[in-house]
Amino acid sequence: MTATATRTSPATAATLRATRRHRAVRAFTATTGLAAAVAALFVLTMMVGSFRLTATEVVTSVLHLADNPSVDFVVRGLRLPTALSALTVGLALGASGTVFQQLLRNPLASPDFVGITSGASLAAVSGIVLFQVGGLAVCLLALGGAICAALVMYVLAWRDGVSGYRFILIGIGVAVFFEGLTGYMLIKAELFEARQAMHWLTGSVGQASDDELRLLGGALVVLLPLAVLLSRKLRVLELGDDTARALGSRVELIRAALLATAVLLVALAVAVAGPIVFVALVAGPIANRLLGPATGGIVAASLVGAMLLLIADLVAVHLLPTPLPTGVVTGAVGAPYLLWLLATTNRRGAGG
Amino acid sequence: MSRLRAEGLTLGYDADPIIRDLDVTVLDGKVTAIVGANACGKSTLLRGLARLLRSREGNVLLDGKAMADLSTLQVAKVLGLLPQSPLAPDGITVADLVSRGRYPHQGWFRTWNDRDHDAVARALDATGTADLVDRPLRALSGGQRQRVWIAMALAQDTDLLLLDEPTTYLDINHQVELLRLLRDLNGRSGKTIVAVLHDINLASRYCDHIIAMSGGAIVAEGPPGEVITAELIAKVFGLACVIVPDPVAGTPIIVPAA
Repeated sequence: MTATATRTSPATAATLRATRRHRAVRAFTATTGLAAAVAALFVLTMMVGSFRLTATEVVTSVLHLADNPSVDFVVRGLRLPTALSALTVGLALGASGTVFQQLLRNPLASPDFVGITSGASLAAVSGIVLFQVGGLAVCLLALGGAICAALVMYVLAWRDGVSGYRFILIGIGVAVFFEGLTGYMLIKAELFEARQAMHWLTGSVGQASDDELRLLGGALVVLLPLAVLLSRKLRVLELGDDTARALGSRVELIRAALLATAVLLVALAVAVAGPIVFVALVAGPIANRLLGPATGGIVAASLVGAMLLLIADLVAVHLLPTPLPTGVVTGAVGAPYLLWLLATTNRRGAGG
Repeated sequence: MSRLRAEGLTLGYDADPIIRDLDVTVLDGKVTAIVGANACGKSTLLRGLARLLRSREGNVLLDGKAMADLSTLQVAKVLGLLPQSPLAPDGITVADLVSRGRYPHQGWFRTWNDRDHDAVARALDATGTADLVDRPLRALSGGQRQRVWIAMALAQDTDLLLLDEPTTYLDINHQVELLRLLRDLNGRSGKTIVAVLHDINLASRYCDHIIAMSGGAIVAEGPPGEVITAELIAKVFGLACVIVPDPVAGTPIIVPAA
């Protein structure tokens, strides 16, 4: 090639090195910044309220550094569970959403749209309406519902392997089907159960019990590192199945493992907090804006999820005249974003 | 002995196989073109040779070993393939994309090392895309984009490289440029290259060996000067033509008959 004659390999290697270093620095800075923001918001949510506390009081109480019964009661008894719930649910939703979007190669393919969340909703609402269950039972039902929905979709989408497109279309179909059944359940329900079911369906970080939080926290410790490890494999899956296979990736195995991890993450998050919409949808794209395009940082997306949910919770509980469930706030912010996404992806001709 | 060959290969997606009981030997260190009418099984054969498609019957042998017994990673270190329309994530940069070609050389935990750097730099240099490293792929022209994809396949650092219709969607200038690049790669490192091509005149000009396929079988193969005849073109494409020598290189050129 004539174009190559002007450049020598050492110069190219140096440029390449500089590019990689620049990327690594940007990723590190953005991720650290996000982690700091999440930590700050986490403390802030526990400071505000009818009984105002200082940051020092909150931190010392959470870390058991000082003994002050009244502060401990407010922090550890009342505010810490909600804050922990927002943090863990946000982390799980952010990571799960971005894995789905990258795996299915579509910014619209977040778990709230492809039927997983609606599977959880149907199971939870059925439990509340038919068997009058509550608490941990609803949580487990939602978990089971989400996993069943994912399995049904995977089986339906299978034809010599699962293609992203088919999975999304079947997911949307399954979501509509489940939502219809959920609606039917609500119509059949008594007023009290219907109210309870509706409350669950709006999604709120304030309803988690200690057991549920322990379950989600424990799962995050295992699943988040797994997602990060598997995401290295995602970098070639993104190039299409043929390219990935030619590069030596065991495509079906890796895809199944990634789907399973992402499904478990979202299933647990929905089980704990109900179907909080849009966090999973927006976390990945926001993280990509911060890290640079096509970087696919799972940790960053996860932190963005936590940040969004902590902010939504602050707004829902403290800034609005009447406290609202978190899901209402995320929905109100997320809907315009979805419209924007639909408009822009279609303009680029890459929609759907 | 040839490093890549197939014996009694039967390939297909549904009940009715596209390729039946086919034997083929890929010549080492040569540039081979697979030509044929649409839907004659060219791409299927290429996908079969790279094990993107499992054989129903028969074997693809890589270095004498049945490919079905090798791990995908073992194959990917020796044999690369660039599909017809690979996908790129939105906004990906050239450096990022080409670097992903190093995948088979990196384990679960291994980080980026000097060998990876060198391989990517060499691939960028060889394809003349070194100046584009920071550019997003979608901002490039079709010809540049195709060279970047080839750089990715080169970064994989394999002795054999298969390309599925690498010149489709390119204008004549970029088609020639791309075939010259393949020639150049072959000349510089002795890389074995197999490409599915549509333009027989260009294939004859730039390739050492031509495999002509029709109805899922190989009907002729050999050097372009021997293989490309009016009878073959009539048989494979159903086109009546005259063959004239290329005024520059003397290779055959197809001219449709009146």
